[in-house]
Amino acid sequence: MTLLETLTVILVSVGGLFFLTGTIGLLRFPSSFSRLHALTKADNVGLGFIACGLALQAESVWVAMKILLVWGVALIAATVSAHLIARFTLRAAGGSRRTPP
Amino acid sequence: MTEWAFDALLAGGLLGLAWQIVASRVLFRSVVLFIVFGLLMAVTWARLHAPDLALAEAAIGAGITGALLLSAYRAFLSRRGTDPGPPPVFPRWAAVGVAALVGALVGGIGWVVVGLEPPEQTAGREALAHLAISGVENPVTAVLLNFRSIDTLSEVVVLFVAFLAARVVAQDLAHAGPGDWLRASRNEPVLVQPLIAFIAPMTVLAAGYLLWSGEHQPGGAFQAGAVLAALGVLLRLTGRLRPTSEPSLAERLSLVGGVVLFSAIGLAGAGVASAVLAYPEGWEYELILLVETALTIAIALPLVLLFSGSGGLRREVR
Repeated sequence: MTLLETLTVILVSVGGLFFLTGTIGLLRFPSSFSRLHALTKADNVGLGFIACGLALQAESVWVAMKILLVWGVALIAATVSAHLIARFTLRAAGGSRRTPP
Repeated sequence: MTEWAFDALLAGGLLGLAWQIVASRVLFRSVVLFIVFGLLMAVTWARLHAPDLALAEAAIGAGITGALLLSAYRAFLSRRGTDPGPPPVFPRWAAVGVAALVGALVGGIGWVVVGLEPPEQTAGREALAHLAISGVENPVTAVLLNFRSIDTLSEVVVLFVAFLAARVVAQDLAHAGPGDWLRASRNEPVLVQPLIAFIAPMTVLAAGYLLWSGEHQPGGAFQAGAVLAALGVLLRLTGRLRPTSEPSLAERLSLVGGVVLFSAIGLAGAGVASAVLAYPEGWEYELILLVETALTIAIALPLVLLFSGSGGLRREVR
């Protein structure tokens, strides 16, 4: 195994570990907010590790950039959806100013 | 070994999900699991080296169909006021009878297919052999838009008829679509506007890229149309598009444009080329690109309107 391949294995394994902990958190945590905490942080970092690991194996810099772009777009989508879910939960619980969600 | 394990995981996951979707007593759960099923199906197509199908499945099967199902569920909720509850239960003997018959049918077909001799000259090999005269480099696009363009034409007609049928049925529904339309206000979540400002141009770019790249690599009108439709769904949900009861002239033209243009070029083929739905020699690439562009819009618009549950959409300025 070359250095690059070893690095990929390590990065992807760490990413998988993050996904695993995120999933356990999603299943075991009691409230919506703590579930979001587990899911968004673990998944974003996990996906980042996996994307970096795979980008090392890409045949060209161009493909590697595309893989990292996927990560970036997923980050944005996750940020906004987490924000919306948290906002809805807060409003549903009667917190903050209540407006139609 | 690893590949076998992965394939077994995929097949087992698909079967397990399919069972959960059918057996689940909670409708919402079934809908969400169906979306997951579509994603897994896309991975399966990619694993079978069919990237065109994987793209179409991810965009249409998981994305747009999921949005349509959620929209239908929402309309269901607002009509009944509560969760629709468990679906009606069929008598056990009927279920067992149908299951036995269907099982026998599938088993019989499988038995016959396994016993067949593989044909020497398949349609796929024919298409690959004549790729050079099709005007495009991607064999899937060559089959869809040239060798078997009658199928594609029929598919677009089916989509259009489905939209018309949904309009006829939805006329009476007060709450069709994803709930009441809300104007995007100053109270909307702060991240929505930046998201749209970023996503909308990116989506249009991605759809254009898919449409253009269908000529030489996986992509094409269906995938591009589904991606555009996803943007429409987002804009409708965030109040940027207001539903109207009647489509405008531009919308009517876009709805029928794909079918009309495709048919016109196809019929003209009888005069200027060898047969109906044949392209004149030397013009294949240009005509295919033209037809695909019209088809992209003719696929995207009915999908968005189906989701919105309205006859038309109008731009709404904040």
